Amino acid sequence: MHFDFTDDQHEIKRTARDLLASRSPFARVREAAEGGERDEALWRELCELGWPGIAVSERHGGHGLGSVELGVLLEELGYACAVTPLLGTVLAALAIEHGGSDAQRERWLPRLSSGELTGALGRAGGVVADAPGAGVIVLLDDAGGGRLLAGDEAEVEATVTIDPTRAYGRVAGGGEPLGGDVAAARDRATVAVAAELVGICQRALELTTAYVKERRQFDTPIGAFQAISHRCAEMLKQTEQARSATYFAAWAADAAPERLAEGAAMAMAAAGDAGRTVTASAIQAHGGIGFTWEADVHWLYKRAQLDAQLLGGPGHQRAQLARMLAARVAA
Amino acid sequence: MDLTFDEHEAAFRDELRAWLEVNRPGPEPAGEDARWAWRMDWHRRLASGRWAGVHWPVEYGGRGATYTQSAIFFEELGRAGAPLPGDALGLLLAGPTLMAWGSEELRQRLLPTILAGSEPWCQGFSEPDAGSDLAALRTKATRDGDEWVIEGQKVWTSNAQYAKWCMLIARTGSDSPKKHHGLTYFVMDMEQPGLQIRPLRQITGESEFNELFIEGARVPHDHVVGGVGNGWKVTLTTLMNERAGLGFFLQVRLRQQVDALAAEAAARGLLDDPRVADRLGDLHMRAEAIRLTAYRGLTSTEKHGQPGPEGSVTKWMWSEASQELAQLAVDVLGPDALVEGTAWAHELLRSRGNSIEGGTTEVLKNIVAERVLGLPRR
Repeated sequence: MHFDFTDDQHEIKRTARDLLASRSPFARVREAAEGGERDEALWRELCELGWPGIAVSERHGGHGLGSVELGVLLEELGYACAVTPLLGTVLAALAIEHGGSDAQRERWLPRLSSGELTGALGRAGGVVADAPGAGVIVLLDDAGGGRLLAGDEAEVEATVTIDPTRAYGRVAGGGEPLGGDVAAARDRATVAVAAELVGICQRALELTTAYVKERRQFDTPIGAFQAISHRCAEMLKQTEQARSATYFAAWAADAAPERLAEGAAMAMAAAGDAGRTVTASAIQAHGGIGFTWEADVHWLYKRAQLDAQLLGGPGHQRAQLARMLAARVAA
Repeated sequence: MDLTFDEHEAAFRDELRAWLEVNRPGPEPAGEDARWAWRMDWHRRLASGRWAGVHWPVEYGGRGATYTQSAIFFEELGRAGAPLPGDALGLLLAGPTLMAWGSEELRQRLLPTILAGSEPWCQGFSEPDAGSDLAALRTKATRDGDEWVIEGQKVWTSNAQYAKWCMLIARTGSDSPKKHHGLTYFVMDMEQPGLQIRPLRQITGESEFNELFIEGARVPHDHVVGGVGNGWKVTLTTLMNERAGLGFFLQVRLRQQVDALAAEAAARGLLDDPRVADRLGDLHMRAEAIRLTAYRGLTSTEKHGQPGPEGSVTKWMWSEASQELAQLAVDVLGPDALVEGTAWAHELLRSRGNSIEGGTTEVLKNIVAERVLGLPRR
């Protein structure tokens, strides 16, 4: 039993944290978000570093690492709120790797892995993250099926959501069925989004903790008031709960696939809720400044709201969990 | 990251499971005294199989179990539906405290009886005016030759009526402005005049706890633990051991209760009620998250000697989940869950204590805020 990252995984996390801190501080996030464009320079650099292919098998041009390492990167992506098409690209690659046919893997994975193409994945009929400009799009339907659309055969209508740190779109078009295990693809994608939410929570917690130590009212740092400090403690509790569930699910995806479905539902039930409440708490604890466009907490709140809806929200996941629990108890 | 048990851990678990298959505590009897006798029998049975004090070092008769093995022990106990050993206070608190601070004579004299379950312990810490603010305690010890004379009152003293020994913290110094100073930790013999024990009736109607009135009780000087005036440090050792491992036992109980409620809800056709399903799904996730978070804390303790930020929240998560589960049971079963003597009615009332004993949720939040997040104190 060793429930922590390996030294290598810690190293990936540190490197990713440092890189994004220097390349994508909030000033850069703001610039890209307000300009309505992604951070091209950062995206090129991430591609050169091989981030899009971290969990793609080596025979398809990736690094062949697992869901845990992918989760590490996505956690840092969420922490930085970086404006790149990384999430959609890795979600599409995950779905094709685990839910596609051999031909689909051969055709798409090498170019997704190198970043030559970007990808997107979402629910059919819904708002799909990173769909505009994507070279390949995976759509999952509620009946458990999945389709794959080449970028040039998909009709993408860009959608302006509340989250300007990412491009979203609605997708129409036929495409071809995903040739493999679609449920496994969906579960892995769900865990990946949960990992981004964990990073969002962590950043919101750190921003808030720093702020309430500095901000003074009634001649006291407001963090000394229990109304504030207990709120911060709640934020930590929810973040850690989401982290535990998400790390477990990422581990299960790599090492115990029979526990993945339940793990993925738990991860999103925990991280979806945590992402929304922790970032909302961050706005509240920042007081008036937290409600301004000028403060940075809103980027986190907005992305958390979208992330929690991309692949079935916390309520949907809890309903799934109740079904799984009932089945186990009846057996 | 490896969330499976390694071969030593798996071998430990399998040996314990096999032992628990054959050795069963039998059904829990009714009545306070009978239940105590049943739990002490179980303690001695565990001792006979060398399963008492598994986390104790081999030199003191334990198995020298790792943190993870210790967690496995409590999980398996819970899974088998077995109770904690009767003198859990001795095994979990007094024993490790004596190992860290006790004199050689005290260790030789007392540790074997703790393992054997022949001389149970109680804990004389809290007082009517010293609960969360424990260091405000006022029980006084005065030196009289080779002895100390104790005057004062303790409260929430579980097992006082059965205990041979008491971990007692009392004030020995003059009134220093720093209230953590001038405290001394004693091992007090409970079989003496000068002690009055009065059961506290709790909201379940039971009496798990007592008030302990101390009027001129005597403690020999060689029963001081860790030196005169050093009592606060010794006390912290005891408190740090308070929830070690135990959390896994409680988590398993919570897991079993979630499963039981799911079965009850299914039997009533209520799993299709989205409100019930939503809350059950939530509690299912939280029960698992508590276990996972506790394991993260274990790994951190094994690597760094102490748990990380996650270690501060598991007890809080557990107490909240246990209370919400009991309330959900009432919503699923209706008034049937409120009938005196039923398991859910008992759980509904008993779980209110979960967020108070062993550190109130409010104090835990303060600890997270100050020690984990580094927020200023008022």
